[in-house]
Amino acid sequence: MAGAASAPRRARWLGVMAEALALARALAVLQEHLDEGTAAYLSACVRCGLCADSCHVFLADRKADSIPAHKAERVARLFRRYRTLLGRMAPWLVGAQTLDEDALHGLATAAFGRCTQCGRCALNCSVGLDPGAIIGFGRTMLSAAGMVPKGILANIDSALASGNTMAISQQDVLETLAWLEEDLRDTVGDPAAALPVDRQSARVLYLLNPREVKFFPLSISAAGMIFHAAREDWTLTSTDFDITNYGFFAADVAAARELAGRLVRRAEELGVEELVVAECGHGYRVLRWEAPEWLGRRLPFRVRSFVEVMADYITAGKLRLDPGKNPQPVTLHDPCNLVRNGGVIEEQRVILRHAVASFVEMTPNREHNYCCGGGGGMLAASEHAAARVEAGRIKAEQIRASGAKVVASPCHNCIDQLMELSRHYRLEVEVKTIGEIVADALIVGHQ
Amino acid sequence: MTLPSLFVLAALLVSVVAFVAQRARLGVAVPPALAPPRGSASAGVRYAFTTAFAPWAKDSARNHLASYLAGIVYHLAVFVMFVILLASVLVPVLPRGIARAGGALLAVGALCGLALLVKRTVDPALRSLTVPDDLLANVLVTGTLAAGAAVMVAPTALPVFQLIGGVVLLYAPLGKLRHMLFLFTSRRFWGEFYGRRGVRPAPRPLVGRDG
Repeated sequence: MAGAASAPRRARWLGVMAEALALARALAVLQEHLDEGTAAYLSACVRCGLCADSCHVFLADRKADSIPAHKAERVARLFRRYRTLLGRMAPWLVGAQTLDEDALHGLATAAFGRCTQCGRCALNCSVGLDPGAIIGFGRTMLSAAGMVPKGILANIDSALASGNTMAISQQDVLETLAWLEEDLRDTVGDPAAALPVDRQSARVLYLLNPREVKFFPLSISAAGMIFHAAREDWTLTSTDFDITNYGFFAADVAAARELAGRLVRRAEELGVEELVVAECGHGYRVLRWEAPEWLGRRLPFRVRSFVEVMADYITAGKLRLDPGKNPQPVTLHDPCNLVRNGGVIEEQRVILRHAVASFVEMTPNREHNYCCGGGGGMLAASEHAAARVEAGRIKAEQIRASGAKVVASPCHNCIDQLMELSRHYRLEVEVKTIGEIVADALIVGHQ
Repeated sequence: MTLPSLFVLAALLVSVVAFVAQRARLGVAVPPALAPPRGSASAGVRYAFTTAFAPWAKDSARNHLASYLAGIVYHLAVFVMFVILLASVLVPVLPRGIARAGGALLAVGALCGLALLVKRTVDPALRSLTVPDDLLANVLVTGTLAAGAAVMVAPTALPVFQLIGGVVLLYAPLGKLRHMLFLFTSRRFWGEFYGRRGVRPAPRPLVGRDG
C-alpha cells in the first residue's frame, strides 16, 4: 500500500525536479552564454513597435503578440531581470520577469510558433537591431531547457544517429542514384553521362537535401543534367550528404556543429575544391556562413549554392538554354536564408531571365521578400501547423498578384510550404526548383 | 561654479563610468568572423550609420513616416540638449543666436516627445509593449527638453534645467535610456552582419561574387 501511494508522489517530485532543472539550464544560458551582439540588441530596443508590419506573421494575424518587438520582449524581460541593475532592484519599473514555467512556455510559443527567423524585422528595424537574433537566443535557452518542438528534435536525433534527417540508408542512396543515372543517360542521349558517387579529388562535391532522395529525385536528375551539360568535374557522396541542419533551427549549437562538421570532414576526405549546396536556404546559410564560426576554423574549400554555380555556367556560356521550353509566366520566391541572410540575391534572377519566356517579380522581392511562413523549422513543428499556414497568407497574396503559373524557389523547405499554400489558398500554381526549370530549358545533344 | 553645475558634472562622471562598465561586461565577446566575406563589413557599418537613417531606407520608417520623423527630431533635440547642458556648466550665457536656435529645436523636440508619449498611451499595440520605464524615460527627457527651451528665453530657469538634466544623466545607464549608448553598439553589429554577407549596402546585380 505504502509503495502504491508513494509512486504518484515520486512522479510528482520527479516532475518538479525536471522543471527546476529545465529552468536552471535556461537561466545558465542567459547568464553565461549571452554574446555581446545579442546583449547590445537587447539593450537597444526601445519598444517603438515600428517593426510590426515588417513581419508576415503580424500582417497575417494582426495580434499584438506577433509584433517582432513583442516576441523579442519575451527574452528582453528575462534579460533585464537577471542582467541589469534596475531589473534586479525594481523589476516592476522596467517590466523585468522572473524565469518560471509560464515564462518559458510563452517564450516557446513566440520563438517556435510565431517567428520563422526570417530576418525581415531586422533589416527594417528603425533602431538598427536584430529582433530575430534575440528570439534566436530565446531558442537557445529553450533548447537547453528541453523545450524544442518534438518534430525538430526528432529530425536532430535522426540526423545524429543515421547521418541524415530521413534516416535513408547508404544502400538506398546508392540504388536511387543508380536508377537516376540510367534515366539521365536516356534523357541526355549520352551513355557516358554519370551521377558520380564518392569519387576522390573531384573539383566539386554536390550535397543534397534528403527530401530530394526520398520525394524529389527529379531535382537530382536536374542537377545531373546541368553538371553534365557544363562538363563539370563533380561527385556526390553516399554518406554525410544531408545539408539540412535542424540543430540550427533549434539553436542547439552543439548539435548544429556536429552535423555541419560531418559534412566538412566528408568534403575534406574527398579532397574537393568546392562544396556546392543543393537548393536549400538554411543548408546554404549553415555551410557558407555559420559552420566556420561553429567549428572555429576557415574551411579549406569554397562553399557555394547551386544557384550561384548555375548562374556562372550561364554567364560563361556553358549551358545552352531555350526559354521557349518554359512558356508559362514564372515568379520567384526568395528564400530568407539564401537571400536576406545569405547574400545570394541576383543570381537566381540571371538564371530565370535566360531560362523562362516570362519572368515576373513578386512585390516586394529580393532581400525585402516576405517569408513563405515555413522557415525556422516551422514545417517540422506540427503543433504550429495552423499558424504556419495562416502566416503564409501574405506570400499567397503575393503569388496571386504576380499572375504567374509557376513559382520558382531555390529551397526545398520553402517548396514544401509553397505547395501547401497553393492547395490551401487555391493558387493553382506549379512549384519548382531553379534547377528543374533550367533542366527543362536545357538544349541537349543536337536539339 | 554653482551647485547645480557641480551636480551635472558629477552625474556625467557617474553616467560615463556606469556605461563603460556595462559595455565592458555586456556579454561573451563575438570572435572574429571566419567565413569568407561576400561584401564588406566596414561598408555595412558605414551604411548603418548613414543611409540606413534615411526615411526611405526601411519599412519601419517609410510606413510610419510621422512617427519616424518625430523620433528623429526628438533625438536630434536630445543630442543638442546634452551639448547645451554641458555648455551651461562652462559658459554661463550662450550667444543670443545659438540660444534662440537651440531653444527652438528643444521646444520642437519636446513637442515631438509629447506626441510620442501620447501615441504610446493611445495605440493599443504600442500600449501592449509599454512598461513603466517607457513612460518615465519619456517624461524625464521631454521635461528636460522643455526646461532647456525655457532657459533660452528665461535664463533664471537654468538651475532647474541643470537639476533635471543631471537626473537624466544618472538615470541613463539604468533603464530604457541605455539605448543612447547601445544603439551605436547595436548598429555596428547589424552593419557588420549585413555588410559581410553583401546584403547592405544595397547589392549590385553581379554574378559569381564570392570571397
